[in-house]
Amino acid sequence: MTWTPLTLVLIGVICLLGVGFYGLLISRNLIKIIVALQILGKAALIAFVMAGNVNGQTGQGQALAMTIIVADTIVAVVGLALAVQVRRRFGTMDIKALSNLKG
Amino acid sequence: MNNAFLWLIALPLLASPFVYILGRIPFSRAAFRTVRLDGHLVLENPRSRIPAFLALAVMLIMWVFFAMTASQFLANGAQSWTFGSVSLRLDGLSLLLAAVALGLGTLVVIFSGPYMADDAGEEKYYALLVLMVGVMIGLGCAYDLFNLWVWFEAMAVSSYLLVAFYHEQPAALESGVKYLVQSAAGSVLVLLGIALVFAQTGTLALDQIQSAARATVNAPALLAAGALFLIGYGVKAALVPLHTWLPDAHSQAPSGISAMLSGVVIEAGLVALLRSLGSLSAVTPSWSTLLFIFGALNMLLGNLLALRQTQVKRMLAFSSLSHIGYMLLGLGIAVYSGQPGGAEGSFFHLINHALMKGLAFLAAGALLYCLFIATGSHNALLISDLAGAARRYPLPALALSIAVLGLGGLPPLAGFMSKWQIFVAGFQTHDLVVMGLVIFAALNSVLSLGYYAPLVNMMYRQKPSTAVQSGKPLPWIMGIPLVLLSLAIVAIGIWPTLVQWLSAPAGAALVSMTAFGR
Repeated sequence: MTWTPLTLVLIGVICLLGVGFYGLLISRNLIKIIVALQILGKAALIAFVMAGNVNGQTGQGQALAMTIIVADTIVAVVGLALAVQVRRRFGTMDIKALSNLKG
Repeated sequence: MNNAFLWLIALPLLASPFVYILGRIPFSRAAFRTVRLDGHLVLENPRSRIPAFLALAVMLIMWVFFAMTASQFLANGAQSWTFGSVSLRLDGLSLLLAAVALGLGTLVVIFSGPYMADDAGEEKYYALLVLMVGVMIGLGCAYDLFNLWVWFEAMAVSSYLLVAFYHEQPAALESGVKYLVQSAAGSVLVLLGIALVFAQTGTLALDQIQSAARATVNAPALLAAGALFLIGYGVKAALVPLHTWLPDAHSQAPSGISAMLSGVVIEAGLVALLRSLGSLSAVTPSWSTLLFIFGALNMLLGNLLALRQTQVKRMLAFSSLSHIGYMLLGLGIAVYSGQPGGAEGSFFHLINHALMKGLAFLAAGALLYCLFIATGSHNALLISDLAGAARRYPLPALALSIAVLGLGGLPPLAGFMSKWQIFVAGFQTHDLVVMGLVIFAALNSVLSLGYYAPLVNMMYRQKPSTAVQSGKPLPWIMGIPLVLLSLAIVAIGIWPTLVQWLSAPAGAALVSMTAFGR
């Protein structure tokens, strides 16, 4: 395998995915979880730009990446709105408080 | 009018903001009320019934477009429409999803009239409900992988908000957060899969991917993409072990939304999964094995987990898992054998499950409303609370009994017919493993009566509980959807060919999607 700029981008995507999933599994703070979801979304976004580059349709890859930014932002907004409500009702951001429903 | 299906999609999307804005306008001073929030008196939203009536009007107009769409489809077959790089295509599967989403959506709007009347923020509820129905119809018509994801994400966002609708209740918030985090992680996996397919084939249109996949059998990138689709969409379709959001979300959402989630949303996830995997079907023949494995897991775990539930809505939520399992079995049979029989059975079961589970959640919701919500309490409805409910609430009790017995698969009801069709298709493959799975499914169906029958017994043969004795009367509007759905279930059970015009083209569409490389 030769080291091209593309390889570096691929490594970057994989690292972002690793960081995102690690954050998702380890964090207990709701805000940090939403940040981890955003990092995951950015990994997917870069993957699209890269995919467009690989098959020679750079423009379409970038257009899809723009759409992902919009969709990701909407999810983040809804998540943060829920986080605000969680802070109001539970008085904490710790997701340990959010484990009453079981079975 | 050509392309009526575009209006069927566009109307709810355009109408949704109007439902919200017109609901916010205070038409009279008395429309305001004050509520106490966090110790402060604040002026709450205007209390108008406009959003409810507007939503109902939108649904009724959509029925006109649906009738035009259906007649055009039955006369001319699949229709497509392209705008730039966005293409929508209405085939049998889209029509089925549209019929189910619109049918259940209309009944839920009627049901929610009295159910949501005392809750603040009705305009948000109806705006999101109308939006969700429109987005699901669009999802069925998406004919390009990325477009499919966008519709899917829009459906997810509208359902996050509806699940966490009672945002003053900790349990609803908790389920909303769980649902959002799991779904969002799943949708990132789907995106990565789409990026892999895009990098490998250079296209996103489903039919072009199909022919590209035939040229590159066993391409590792496409195999990985298929796995990512299965996991990513599997979160929304509630494949065990990705189901953990489902019981919380179904039990904490308002009852009308529980019916929509269980009856249509998880099936929409299944349709998205089928479309994506269908385009990659030529890559490897083992997709059907995966469908069988997930189907068996869903049937068994769904039933076993439902057995130990004490809350009615939670039990119904777990039984949705097992019904997704039956559908996966039928779809697996169709993909495995290349015959439409199993898929027709599955899509017939999809319709029936939407009717039966919709009725079960609405009937449970009606009882929940009478016993708790109308008295100002937000308790969960326990199975023991329903003791003797048939004496005071004969209609919801009868409707709930019809629904759960249909779900359990007792012969004169709809659930039996569709399960039977799946089982027959399984035996026609003459494959020992598939026949073993069919027997396993039949045993599971019997097992499910282990939690449905005690519920019926509790309502009809026990002394009334204190909750039933102190309950409020049932508003007559809530009875309309219950009666209609009960009649539909009995009618389809007696004349199973009644909805064949929907399930047969959907099965044919699935086989034409997947049997491409054979």
